[in-house]
Amino acid sequence: MIENVQTASAVGDTTQQTTSMIKLENVSKYYKTFPAVNNFNFEIGRGEVFGFIGPNGAGKTTTIKMLATLMLPTDGKLSIGGYDVVKEPHEVRRIIGYMPDSFGVYEDLLVWEYLDYFAALYKLSPAQRKRATSDVLELTDLTTKHDAQVMSLSRGMKQRLCLAKTLLHDPEVLLLDEPASGLDPHARIEIRELIRELCRMGKTVLVSSHILTELADFCTSIGIVEAGKLLAAGRIDEITAQLSGNVMLEITVKGDPSIAIEILQERPEVQRTTCDGRVIRAEYTGQADDVDELLDYLIQRGVRLLGFTRSQADLEDIFLKITRGTVA
Amino acid sequence: MKLSNPILVKEMRTRMRGKRAFIVLTGYILVLSAIIGLIYLVFTKNAPPSILNTAGRVLSAVLIYVQMGLICLIAPTFSSSAISSEREQETFGLLIATLARPSTILIGKLGASLSYLMLTLLGSLPLIALTYSLGGVDMIDIVKSYLVMMVAGVTFCSVSFYWSTLIRRGVLAQLVSIVTVIFLVAAMPALAMFLTSLAMNFANGPTTGFLNVTFLMLRTNPFAAITYLIIPGVPNPPNSVWFHTVPLWITQVLFYVGLTTLSIFLSLRRLNSVRKWL
Repeated sequence: MIENVQTASAVGDTTQQTTSMIKLENVSKYYKTFPAVNNFNFEIGRGEVFGFIGPNGAGKTTTIKMLATLMLPTDGKLSIGGYDVVKEPHEVRRIIGYMPDSFGVYEDLLVWEYLDYFAALYKLSPAQRKRATSDVLELTDLTTKHDAQVMSLSRGMKQRLCLAKTLLHDPEVLLLDEPASGLDPHARIEIRELIRELCRMGKTVLVSSHILTELADFCTSIGIVEAGKLLAAGRIDEITAQLSGNVMLEITVKGDPSIAIEILQERPEVQRTTCDGRVIRAEYTGQADDVDELLDYLIQRGVRLLGFTRSQADLEDIFLKITRGTVA
Repeated sequence: MKLSNPILVKEMRTRMRGKRAFIVLTGYILVLSAIIGLIYLVFTKNAPPSILNTAGRVLSAVLIYVQMGLICLIAPTFSSSAISSEREQETFGLLIATLARPSTILIGKLGASLSYLMLTLLGSLPLIALTYSLGGVDMIDIVKSYLVMMVAGVTFCSVSFYWSTLIRRGVLAQLVSIVTVIFLVAAMPALAMFLTSLAMNFANGPTTGFLNVTFLMLRTNPFAAITYLIIPGVPNPPNSVWFHTVPLWITQVLFYVGLTTLSIFLSLRRLNSVRKWL
């Protein structure tokens, strides 16, 4: 099943190929003999929001660093906007905005000086710099911090400042490596809202995270990585369709759900169950039209049901399925 | 005139904003003033009139030697953390991902260090003007001595910058830079002196090749160059050695210009291959 997904995403459909902004072909990166990235193949179309999902140490940051022209691949070809990342780094840098997972800021500078510095490094004229600084401060809701010292900003604000810096030259492609890592829930939501806004602006975004719920809301496609291997990549609906000829069921029970789970597991067509309070999510591998048989069986066995509905597989389901539950 | 190198602008801003820049500059001038003041006091209290006439020459020489010594100590610290500190505070990746060329980074970082170094050197001009007014030294020799000091400062900054591209930790880069400067200014003349004293024991006197090596080592040293410029009566190299007609300060400056060029070339090459070591 997993192999099928990889093949499908590696080839991609023709419409994606013509408009693909990011493309990786047989990309590998070895640290001495350790394969941090092992033969990655995927494409991201223009305007797509690609969620790069995997646990720490899976190879996400290495891949993003290679795309951000900070690291050379051991093997393979990477391109962004048609430019070869290895051979034409300067052209690539012109069209990308890169936000690393862990970064420092120049604490001695004022917020506007920090942004002006990076805007100048992106060759913007003084007039353009002023306008761009004002625009990105507004977008990241930092306008009131224009004259504040960078060192006086909170962690969340520094994160937003870094994102503001990333947007200064209006890049077509954004490479965001764990943009919400280490933030409190409030700041996390703010960053998520910002990324959502960027999606609306039509940017092509590659955003990595090991927290699935962070990406679930706005990603149009995903890549799932584990231990340097790309397990699946492609549009969420395509992967879902390939993975689940299966039906996801959401069953709400009255009383103890563990008894209902035991009864469900007696059925060979129920493959996997998870429980959240009184809501049981079960993967049904039988014929979609025969779901009513399962409902009958539960009722016959005395399970008191409050709800029995079919649901779409979400990111969590996909991730668990692809990684065989070993990472969850 | 507007500065067009953003790294230079940013470096100047951050360098001059804190207290450190002013403390170092003030400390530097105070140390020089104290030394000159003390020597002048000793001269005026105890020295006979014949020696008093040489006060200008002695004070100028002391001032230039002390300045040269201070440059050896402070110049490496100005640029030895240029790249390593960016790596330590995790800002180097952000910098490299921009459109900044390696030459922009080098000019910005080195330019900021050199600007500050020149500021400290120029800060001592009123003191040297004072000692010059006491007489005994040619203006042209003072100018040449300042040239030697400036070139030495540029060289030390460039070599330190190269170390900062090689060594990730700022403290270690600084240490290695200072050791390099000590090797250049102290180890070479020490070796030359050792060889000279060894030559005294030769039965038929030192061979020409031996003398050549000794004087070539001396020709790389800024302190030796200054000595030949401001101390009268220092014996010239014997006619048998290489370049005996060329003033020592010229070969010293040329040697340091060569070192600077090599350091800059190696630093640029290192920055150009940043994706292999970042």
